[in-house]
Amino acid sequence: MPTWSRRRIETVGLAVWGIAAVIPLRFPVEPRGWLLAELGSLGLVLLIAETARKLRARDGRATRFPYGATAVLGSLPVVFAIAARVGGSPIAIEMSTLTTCGAVSLAIAVAALTDRTRSLSLILSGFLVLFCVSISDHRYAAVWPMVWMLGCIWHLIANHWERLDLAMPDAVQRNWTLRPSILISTLLLLALGAYAVKDRMAASQRLGIGLLPTSGGSRWSDPAARSGVGSGDAAIAARDHAESFGAVDSDIFLESTESSLFDMVNDMLGEPKQRNQWERRQAVGHERLIPSHQRSARSEQGAGSFSTERLPPQRHQHFQDAREPSVVQWDGPTGIRLAMQRYDSFDGSQWFQSAKLARQPLTRVDIDDAPWFFDPRLRTFVTDHPDATSVGLLKIIRLDSQRLPVPMLTAGVHIKQVDRQDFFGITDDGSFFMPGRQRVPPLTVVHVASTTLSEDAIRRHLVPSRSEPPRGGPNAAGSLTTADALTSLVRTATAGWTSPYDQLDACLAKLRQEFTFDRAGASSARSLAEFLQTRRGGDHLFATTAALMARELGLSSRLVTGFYVRPNAFDPGAGHASILPRDVHVWAEVQLADGRWFEIEPTPGYRPPSYRPSWALRCRQFAAAAWPLLVGGLLVLAALYRTRGLWIDWGLTAIWSLTGWLRPRQRVRLAIRIIETRARLAGQRRPSGKSQRAWLEQLTLADARLAAAARKFCDAADHLFFGRADDDPLPGATEPIEFELVELLHVSTLIALTQRTPS
Amino acid sequence: MNLTADTQLPKQAAHHAVPDVSPLRDYLRGVLLGKPHQIDLVVACLLSRGHLLLDDLPGTGKTTLAKALAAGIQGRLARVQCTPDLLPADITGFSMFNQKTREFEFLPGPVFADVLLADELNRTTPRTQSALLEAMAERQVTIDGKPHPLSPTFFVIATQNPIDAHGAYPVPEAQLDRFAIKLRIGYPDREAQRRILRREVLDPGHQPPAADASAAAALSLDDLQQLQRQVQTVSVHPRVADYLIDLVEASRTDDGVELGISPRGMMRWQAIAQAWALLKERRFVTPTDVADVAHAVLSVRLLTRGESVDAVIQRIMASVPAPEYQ
Repeated sequence: MPTWSRRRIETVGLAVWGIAAVIPLRFPVEPRGWLLAELGSLGLVLLIAETARKLRARDGRATRFPYGATAVLGSLPVVFAIAARVGGSPIAIEMSTLTTCGAVSLAIAVAALTDRTRSLSLILSGFLVLFCVSISDHRYAAVWPMVWMLGCIWHLIANHWERLDLAMPDAVQRNWTLRPSILISTLLLLALGAYAVKDRMAASQRLGIGLLPTSGGSRWSDPAARSGVGSGDAAIAARDHAESFGAVDSDIFLESTESSLFDMVNDMLGEPKQRNQWERRQAVGHERLIPSHQRSARSEQGAGSFSTERLPPQRHQHFQDAREPSVVQWDGPTGIRLAMQRYDSFDGSQWFQSAKLARQPLTRVDIDDAPWFFDPRLRTFVTDHPDATSVGLLKIIRLDSQRLPVPMLTAGVHIKQVDRQDFFGITDDGSFFMPGRQRVPPLTVVHVASTTLSEDAIRRHLVPSRSEPPRGGPNAAGSLTTADALTSLVRTATAGWTSPYDQLDACLAKLRQEFTFDRAGASSARSLAEFLQTRRGGDHLFATTAALMARELGLSSRLVTGFYVRPNAFDPGAGHASILPRDVHVWAEVQLADGRWFEIEPTPGYRPPSYRPSWALRCRQFAAAAWPLLVGGLLVLAALYRTRGLWIDWGLTAIWSLTGWLRPRQRVRLAIRIIETRARLAGQRRPSGKSQRAWLEQLTLADARLAAAARKFCDAADHLFFGRADDDPLPGATEPIEFELVELLHVSTLIALTQRTPS
Repeated sequence: MNLTADTQLPKQAAHHAVPDVSPLRDYLRGVLLGKPHQIDLVVACLLSRGHLLLDDLPGTGKTTLAKALAAGIQGRLARVQCTPDLLPADITGFSMFNQKTREFEFLPGPVFADVLLADELNRTTPRTQSALLEAMAERQVTIDGKPHPLSPTFFVIATQNPIDAHGAYPVPEAQLDRFAIKLRIGYPDREAQRRILRREVLDPGHQPPAADASAAAALSLDDLQQLQRQVQTVSVHPRVADYLIDLVEASRTDDGVELGISPRGMMRWQAIAQAWALLKERRFVTPTDVADVAHAVLSVRLLTRGESVDAVIQRIMASVPAPEYQ
């Protein structure tokens, strides 16, 4: 029975969807080969089981083969789990379990004979989809259960409401309306529900430690577990959980691969009693303290003393896989720069920093009970444009500096539970630092709120100050030849551009296109003069040239050093981007009239900062650039629209002449569609209540030949569509139907008819 | 022979013996000039065993049409001029005591004719109207407890005068349902009027109706019965039936309608459409047939709330999309 098979197909489809929900979890973390092989085998076995079942149904012979195939289907993931482990690239046990759950649900759906069994499969696949989504941190994970629910509701209607559908008196004629309408209302309900919880979704994206041991387990318990320490959860805590602040598992990042003599001494004889050297610190609740003893392996530098008073030796665990090369970890947008030092005067070969680490008072603002410290100059921008503010998480790993590497236009910082103002400072040039200490404590997690800048704002505020000579004196560009070279470079680059932003952009484009980035190559320039000549050098030369070019344009500029967050640096598994020592980068900044500084990226290969233009600006730019195209396009469109009757008619005629092979019914259908389209083009739309025959007869009333053709066509069509199948054919109906009407009734004919009819 | 047996006539036999209806049509067209559509509707009404209500001004040819029709089917015509003092027995007939035979003798009334013209139906009392309408529905009259069957081709043409409503008894809507269609013949066009006048001038001494055509070659009563049976075998495609139902439901749900189409009206509509299809020499009903007869069928049984019936019919027809070629 068709209903039965439809129900079955729906259940199988939902089970397949359940398995599909596991794929996004497995795909990023597993070897592709094994995963694809497993999925392919599942599909293959499903196909075999189905074919066997079909054949058996046809032959009527009772064989056990389909049952065997179904059993294989259910147990396939287990087989693959074992095979992959033997093969050396094990699949995580949890993943195998989930896939097995899906496979079993599929097997039940395939083998089920009753609705009850089928609903068991439904429950399994539903559980699977929901569970997979609950542990997924994918942005669009909610799509899976939505689709599953829609499918399930469709299936349930098929199962339970079909008879109700028939029983509804006004649904007797068009019983197709019930299903789509229920589906649409369900979709609406789901959308409303999603909208209601959308703000809470972001908060629940990250799972607490311990809830899901997906990446947990040690190498001993599960070889597929991610490399970690101890239970594995600790590794997650330290690597992923950006909130871990303080001495949580700090050791694994500080693990030294080459232990010094003192390390070995410490291992054998115990560590020396530390003479306490206190940096400023703030007490935190004891519940946040995670015992980390027996996990430290600290490199000690030699000193001029050797203590005889020692603690009992601690057992030290060696972790082969604990190697963390990051200087800083960053959870935020990638392809950006994190600035640390800014230099604002240039003497021809050296940049100097005029701003000192003089502590500027920061403004404390409590946002959601979190103490934030804002740069007073930028705070107004944050409060005025809360949408243009983004918060990133910065975790200092091995950075020996007081300064915080933060993105440009950083307005404020926040460290969890630290509410003391004297912990933070900001220099004149806008660099955040933590005063009164040697360096920012390792593993400190800093929340960084930075504002963004739109192209509109830059265009508005970028005003060259011609009167003021470039900072650093007349010899800033070094020798006279260098200055000349720069001037000519700027002149050639800015030719044809008038607004300062476009000029600056043209300069940067010239640098990025005509100069080659080569940091340490044999032919890379060693000085600015050489760079301008060879056009090949490191990013510091690019940045310097860009800064000097900006000064040529009358803009204030400065050199910035810091780190570049590579666009591909973000590790979705870990949830942060690792910034390595090789990511050190030099670039430049230009000042706006309102005092803000914005980045420019002259070095090719580094992603330039994106200053998003507003839609109005974008439209203006597009219109300015493409007005001939726009006007021409509009004219062409208008012409096409004016002559639409002509060319659509041609198209329809072409379609008609190409479809001679259609069967009579389809051909009549096509003919009437063509005629109606032509009539619409001629402004003669058929009124909804009018039958096609009456309409055609009325249309062709004025022309005897057309009327005869229309009558002939309608006679044939009426007979085809409303005649009795066993009825005697019309006189001449056995002959091919004449479609003279289609060839006669063109748009122009119709227009002529319309003009003739009123008279 | 009952109706069920009729519809189950062997198809081949039924098909081969179709009498030609065109002589009757041509004859009627020759009598009533310039009104081919109305004549087709009248013939369709006759073929579908329905009764006809003519609602028109005096002098537009109502009586002429009725007379010509009776002549065309070679049937007996009886005419009743409905007046307020007309009694039911004047229509149905009555039993009279025969002094010679000493028995009651049944004297059949005009209702026993083949074509009955009831002129100005709304002038007589409701009681008499009811007697006639009952005879129309039952196709028999019961007098003194004895049923008397009417002619198998019994066809009533009732006329109404829409103006001069003073002293009239409007026929109740429920009774009107027994008529199949209501027609308005209307004034002939210029060309037809020219021909009418020419006819009068050329042959002033003759009887007016037979002037343009002769009834000699028209239909016999047997032929008519056969045609009536034939009409019932015209097929109705399910989609066309759905269209009809949609229209009927639209008439019931329309805001301007007090009383929509009853199931009986729906059956009549289908029958008229079948007859219409047969007139068009087709053995199946098309949506166009349904739409063509819609106005005549609906105008007799649609009770509106003050709105003009024509406007309501137009709206109903426009609201239901006709089945397409697809």
